[in-house]
Amino acid sequence: MIDKINLEQLPQEDLFGPGNVGCKGCAAAIAGRQAMKVLRERTMITIPASCMATLGGNNRRTTWKIPFYHTLFECAPAVSSGIRAALEVQGIKNVNVVSWGGDAGSADIGFQALSGAAERNEDIFHVCYDNEMYMNTGGQTGSQTPKTALTSNAFLGKPTNKKNMLAIMEVHGIGYVASASIAFPADLMAKLKKAASRKGFSYIHILAPCFRGWGIPSDQTVEFARRAVYCGLWELYEVEDGIRKRTVEPQLIPVKDYIFPQKRFSKISAEEINRLQQQVDDYYGKVGK
Amino acid sequence: MSKVLMTGSEAAALGAKLSKIEVLSYYPITPAFPAMERLSKYIEDGELNCKFIRAESDHSALAAVLGASLAGARSYTVTNSQGLLYMTEVAYHVAGLRQSVVMGVANRALSAPHSRFPEHGDAVSQGANGWIQIFSENNQDILDNTIQAFRIAEELRTPVMVNYEGYIQSHTQEEVEAPSAEKVAAFLPLKRMPVMDINNPQGVNTVTSPDFYMDYKFRQNEALEKALTVIPQVSEDYKKEFGRDSRGLLEAYRMEDVEHAIVAMGSIVSTARLLVDNLRSQGKKIGLVKLRVWRPFPGKELYENLKNVKYVTVLDKNIVFGVGGALATDIKAAFYGRTEMVINSCIIGLGGAKSGVAEIKQAVDSTEDCSESKNSSVWIGL
Repeated sequence: MIDKINLEQLPQEDLFGPGNVGCKGCAAAIAGRQAMKVLRERTMITIPASCMATLGGNNRRTTWKIPFYHTLFECAPAVSSGIRAALEVQGIKNVNVVSWGGDAGSADIGFQALSGAAERNEDIFHVCYDNEMYMNTGGQTGSQTPKTALTSNAFLGKPTNKKNMLAIMEVHGIGYVASASIAFPADLMAKLKKAASRKGFSYIHILAPCFRGWGIPSDQTVEFARRAVYCGLWELYEVEDGIRKRTVEPQLIPVKDYIFPQKRFSKISAEEINRLQQQVDDYYGKVGK
Repeated sequence: MSKVLMTGSEAAALGAKLSKIEVLSYYPITPAFPAMERLSKYIEDGELNCKFIRAESDHSALAAVLGASLAGARSYTVTNSQGLLYMTEVAYHVAGLRQSVVMGVANRALSAPHSRFPEHGDAVSQGANGWIQIFSENNQDILDNTIQAFRIAEELRTPVMVNYEGYIQSHTQEEVEAPSAEKVAAFLPLKRMPVMDINNPQGVNTVTSPDFYMDYKFRQNEALEKALTVIPQVSEDYKKEFGRDSRGLLEAYRMEDVEHAIVAMGSIVSTARLLVDNLRSQGKKIGLVKLRVWRPFPGKELYENLKNVKYVTVLDKNIVFGVGGALATDIKAAFYGRTEMVINSCIIGLGGAKSGVAEIKQAVDSTEDCSESKNSSVWIGL
């Protein structure tokens, strides 16, 4: 069961957010702010190369009110493993040790360290905030880019499928895996809280649209994160100790309502839209509620 | 103190154990693995209270050790060759973040072509990364250098690599005198310097503009320069406490009244001692300088020891392609404009190639044969 989060009872103070240099409407910053509402002061965070690593501060100024380390691209979960070991050896308890990567720093260049930390069942958790392309370098294709999406180095659209990181992390045999969305903050916060309360490794994958990369207005990031869930393409669920549970029931709006307004899908074919719709219909018809 | 037969790997592990490391991480590689296994056994047997992170790669091993150090733990790793190359990116981070990490390196030749034999190419590849580098001539050195490395690293907030050669040292037993744990504990008081501190939150490695970056780098280099005085002090303190003289930055061996000097680092120093003794008994005015510290480079101290010689034979168990031996290159740069001596860069023993007394004699002879050019270079044993 997921703890209910009462948004009105959350602390007013932000431990991440004010003064960050993210774009207006940046979903990465939204995700960070939501997370810190529940993780609170006794949290240490490592963030590999990504927008999120750079938008929290410059020189001697930072918006982070917790210990934060901008790590190298490949190794945030390994660094966090070391931090946890050092805290344990000093008897420092009740600290959330988090690694927080983008889709590249989690699924691609950062995958080896993530997989290693998960397999060792380190007492940390990893959050992947996924904007489905390499936005910190201008929006190139990565493994989390969906098929047919246009990127700054795929003018004809990506020819292959998005790698299913949640499934991959689930088969590591870790205790807790969950998907989340910035458009469902109570759900996102409850999952982070659960990951923080558990011993051992947890993995949370947040869909966090980038309006620049996706080709949508900057005030629509939350809206498109919501449509991704409602159309059925981004299912919100968790797998806790092997038990799978959907945490938000989608209305199943047409997939095209999510896809068509995004410029990155401007070259998508009717066949591909039909395929996606069929995939959603089959999935929800088969799995049920 | 009693003497015990032990391999270089065992000496490295014992040095780390006596230094009471708190977090260990490594990724197995040959020939460093026996030191790793020994440390893991200490932990499993309850002889060492240390957290071990079984990293899935060398890169993650150093990253984990870095994380532990940032959070205030005395941290150690050991590796060599390809593992060290894979760690390189993290090695720069450790140095740039001024973390007092100590790393053992069982020096081995770099691929390609594949070789598992001893050489200094791996250490030399890290010559610009900001770590202090100490070289060990024998297994006793490995133990003493490892303990001293923690003191140096923690005083300067600068990481230290302790080099010892694969097989020649890692897998060969020698007599080693081990100090008591109590005395080492007194020599190495634990002073925590956590950067990742829950009670004092800080942003680490934020985006840095050019003026700040330059300043950080200046201070980082300043620490390396300060090491030239701290390392001899630590060596002196160690001598007072444990009775063994590690000789600070370098050791001058039979350097009185010499015309010709050999300069070397690592295990080949012992072989060169034999040749010097041999040639001295035949009346040749030859001596030896053992370089203990390669980074920072003690150019001034080397010059003081070598300024009156006519010939310098530099034994380089490495090759910087298109340039020459790293040690000779550094010496030539440090001596520029100050000397008329012949400095002969001798590339020797690459990938485990024979580097015994005969080969060093060949190197010495080549130096005196090449007086036409004061800046010469030869490959020994092709």
